[in-house]
Amino acid sequence: MARVTPTPVEGERPIAGAPSRAVRKTNVRRLLVSLGRHLLLIAVAVVFMGPFYWMLISGLKTMDEIFATPIVWWPKHLQWSNIGDVLNYPGFPFLHYLWNSTFYSGSVTVGALFSCSAAGYAFARLRFPGRDLLFGIALATLMVPFIVIFIPTYVLFKNLHMIGSYLPLILPSFVAGKVGTSGLFIFMLRQFFMGLPWELTEAAKVDGAGEWRIFWQIMLPLVRSALIVVAIFSFVWTWQEFLGPLIYLPDASQYPLTLGLFAFRAQRTTDWPLLMAAASLTTVPLVVLFFLTQKYFVKGITMTGLKG
Amino acid sequence: MFQQPISRGRVFQLGGALAAAGALAAAGHTDAIASMLSDEVTVTFWTPGGSARYCQNFSNIARDFHKLHPNITIGKTTCGTGQQDFLTVLLAKIAAGNPPDATIYWDSPVTLGVRGAVMQLDPMMAVSQYSQAKYWPPSALASCQFRGKTWGLPLTGSPYAIWFNQDLFAKKGIPTSREKFPKTWDELRKLSKEFTYWKGDTLVSAGFLPMNPPELPATIFVWSALNGGTIYDADHQKYTIDSDQNVAMMQYMLDWLNEEYKGNRTAVDTSANWTGYADAKGRAPAFQAGKLAMLEQGFWFVGDVLSAGVTFKHYEVAQYPVGPGGKKTVSGFWPNWAVIPQGSQHPQEGFKWLDYLAGVGVEKWFAVTPDLPTNRNVPASLVPAVAVQQRGQAYAANLTRFFHHQLDISIPMWNSPIQGFAFDQINKAVNNIMHKVAKPKDALAAAQRASQNELQRVLHSA
Amino acid sequence: MAVMAQPMKRRRWSVMRRREAIAGYLFILPWLIGLIVFTAYPILATVYFSFTDYNIIQPPHWVGLSNYTTMFTADTDFWNGVGNSLYYALISVPLGLAFSLGLALVLNLRARGVGVYRALFYLPALAPSIVATVVFLMLLDPQNGLVNVLLRAVGLPAPGWFEDPSWSKPALIILSLWGAGTAALIFLAGLQEIPQALIEAATIDGAGAWSRFWNVTLPLLSPVVLFNLVMGVIWSFQVFDQAITVGGTTGDPLGSTLMFMVMIYNNAFRYFSMGYASALSVVLVLAILVVTAVIFRTSRLWVFYEGQQRDA
Repeated sequence: MARVTPTPVEGERPIAGAPSRAVRKTNVRRLLVSLGRHLLLIAVAVVFMGPFYWMLISGLKTMDEIFATPIVWWPKHLQWSNIGDVLNYPGFPFLHYLWNSTFYSGSVTVGALFSCSAAGYAFARLRFPGRDLLFGIALATLMVPFIVIFIPTYVLFKNLHMIGSYLPLILPSFVAGKVGTSGLFIFMLRQFFMGLPWELTEAAKVDGAGEWRIFWQIMLPLVRSALIVVAIFSFVWTWQEFLGPLIYLPDASQYPLTLGLFAFRAQRTTDWPLLMAAASLTTVPLVVLFFLTQKYFVKGITMTGLKG
Repeated sequence: MFQQPISRGRVFQLGGALAAAGALAAAGHTDAIASMLSDEVTVTFWTPGGSARYCQNFSNIARDFHKLHPNITIGKTTCGTGQQDFLTVLLAKIAAGNPPDATIYWDSPVTLGVRGAVMQLDPMMAVSQYSQAKYWPPSALASCQFRGKTWGLPLTGSPYAIWFNQDLFAKKGIPTSREKFPKTWDELRKLSKEFTYWKGDTLVSAGFLPMNPPELPATIFVWSALNGGTIYDADHQKYTIDSDQNVAMMQYMLDWLNEEYKGNRTAVDTSANWTGYADAKGRAPAFQAGKLAMLEQGFWFVGDVLSAGVTFKHYEVAQYPVGPGGKKTVSGFWPNWAVIPQGSQHPQEGFKWLDYLAGVGVEKWFAVTPDLPTNRNVPASLVPAVAVQQRGQAYAANLTRFFHHQLDISIPMWNSPIQGFAFDQINKAVNNIMHKVAKPKDALAAAQRASQNELQRVLHSA
Repeated sequence: MAVMAQPMKRRRWSVMRRREAIAGYLFILPWLIGLIVFTAYPILATVYFSFTDYNIIQPPHWVGLSNYTTMFTADTDFWNGVGNSLYYALISVPLGLAFSLGLALVLNLRARGVGVYRALFYLPALAPSIVATVVFLMLLDPQNGLVNVLLRAVGLPAPGWFEDPSWSKPALIILSLWGAGTAALIFLAGLQEIPQALIEAATIDGAGAWSRFWNVTLPLLSPVVLFNLVMGVIWSFQVFDQAITVGGTTGDPLGSTLMFMVMIYNNAFRYFSMGYASALSVVLVLAILVVTAVIFRTSRLWVFYEGQQRDA
């Protein structure tokens, strides 16, 4: 498949020689439009980021400054000691919990990518009896409220002698059985696979390729962006998961970061600056990961259809 | 067997078997031998939540306990997240058959006992060191009992009182002593007006706001009793939510709202956070900010009343004023209960631990969090350290004595099999009345109907 | 397009078809295993419990349709919960969809540093939800929150947001918009898949920006729009954490934030009526199923799959 080099969106054409008056006007207009776009982006970004920034900066405040009115956007003195307090806090062994979270989120993501892409592909591009009904079932499992199936699920895992570890949390991911997320990923990947031209499959079949090769070598690479999204969501949502680890893990030594955060809350009060600092530390790895995946989100991975 | 001569090995085998059998028999006979031979037992213990200091404090208490009972080790306390998830997790584990051996619980043990989720404690209490029935204040123990059976131990029971800002009182020339505090609802209402200022539709400061939402699960029962009524009649197992006294009480509160607070509860709520703790929305408490002059709160508040940002130095506490339909002042309380879940692997050992906690362990607990121990074996002279630091030993002792008395005059509460359900109905009724969506009589009647029906249903299947 | 099989190849078609079907089953085998082993029992158990009186501790006992009749006739909270959830879903879904699509379009432009913007918009979704909600609640504080301060500064009325029964649901909806980064990210992935050649072709043909969007981008993006629409519906009916943080278990103020899921939670764990809670869950699932089925049915009119197969 030929690659098309991306060209600028506005469809401008390079013009040789000195710019005419009309061209200068267009240049100015283009500049203003670009400026306007940036301003818009910045304005909305500020609104969006505001609360997130508040979380970060509150980790460096004193207790009074947290709820002071008007909102304190920059504390008088940055309490860097808060970070030290959090890292040394009894009941919040940061690095240990960080490892637990990474291990947990990573495993689940691998399992999700594997099992959900296969199923999503089958529902999108393979024909077999009962396909649409089974897809409907996959979708229906997303609609069941977690809190109600929570107890039967727990009893099930107990009877399978799997509780007391991360096993009941990780294993379902490898068989697309994580309630609330697996069905979602299957659905999403199905939509993306269905957006790929049918001609690709036919051409490959004419070339004699088997189903697995078509899937692995042709189809999967074409939905790369969707796979990255699945990976990001799977990792992030698992990182933020709370109730699952709470019930299946035997003791605090296996807790992920989310459960560790509750060390900063008492029965009626909360140590807000430390909680915010801890929450920020919990979020930073995700931010780093997200930035790292940005380079795979490259626009321009295109393919011309066999439409030419 | 007789075909071959009996070999030496065979003799040893038989001999060994006999010896083992003998040892087993001996072990089965004497308890002393049994306890010496008995394996180390590790008891799993949970608490719904608390600060890190509070949770880790249990390790200290457990160490002391271990010295007295070397064969029982209390495992590291699993400190919950303090959210509703604790209940979810606990129930799931009981349902699956692997609950903790003992746990603290923040809601009525009666609801658990009636449904068979926890073990009955009376037999173990009777032979215990500290937990016999006579060692508990009657209303505290009643909070765990249903139809004569005890389902939990009220380890701590912090009573309620009215806290007020002495400095604010002094500024207005109002007498600041406990004795001179209003004794009737009318007096309280009149005093409250002194502090209430509106700026347009914003309530800038207030005297006393009745029906304070966060504490309502406990205090609604107190207000009802202060007016001569009850909400739940435990002896006859029926609800009396819409009794005449309760209707009169809500009408009184409504009149108060209309007169002093412009009849607009929404405007009141929008203006500030009229409690003693930051709310879920992060708003600072109005009491510490000096905007609310009087507040009903529990004994634990002594640890938070002069928290960061407080604008005054002197507070005092007073008894609840009596309503038009009532005769004497009463109080209420909110306990930390302890229960032994059904399916506990080591109920006896778990109970020994709870017994120890009740009679001795609470002292160390109290040092970290001022929850008032209820058991009579605990010296009444125990004083919260934070109060000593802030107001001196004499005042702290006086304060604690006062609250002990409040516990003695507390009404029975928390003893309904449908505590959570009934409270939600009552809460809805109170809110509807205060927001003028329904009239007192109708709102309370609706709550009564729903609660009584649910009570019948549960008692029927119990 | 491949030419239809000639008669002498018909036998090969059915062999190929059979192989394709087998492949299909093999591809979904992991999911099928997961369904049977992990997912089927809890869901079937829930359906069973919905016909019983079950308090979690003691064995359930059969009561037939009693839970369902109570729900529709005797539960005062039920219709409140339904109303609240419908209001929330009907407004937050279209709003969220439009908002996240707009966001994705803006983030898809080849402006400099657009990768940074993308991260900025998605970052809020990365914060732990307790933090996110509390922060947002601060912003919407009726007295001192930034939003009301700004509104007053321009002379607009400052509503009571989470303290006012009439404004608490709109406040919840605004809170949900803050999570639009998630849907935007999916739209973004979809936009990446649109071949540049088509956009260029349209431009060369003289199509303006709006026309390009309406005639090229949107149709090719429609499978993703369908996804975000369906997921938006499912999620909005299942909103729980935010509702409970904001309104507690009683849906304060005045039950205005009592969402369906909170009702389910109350009945399951506070009232020990797991049977009734299961019945509520069944009703919820059926409602979402119906809505989703309708959306899928009508999707044939507006969703365009490039990989459209000729036979199912």
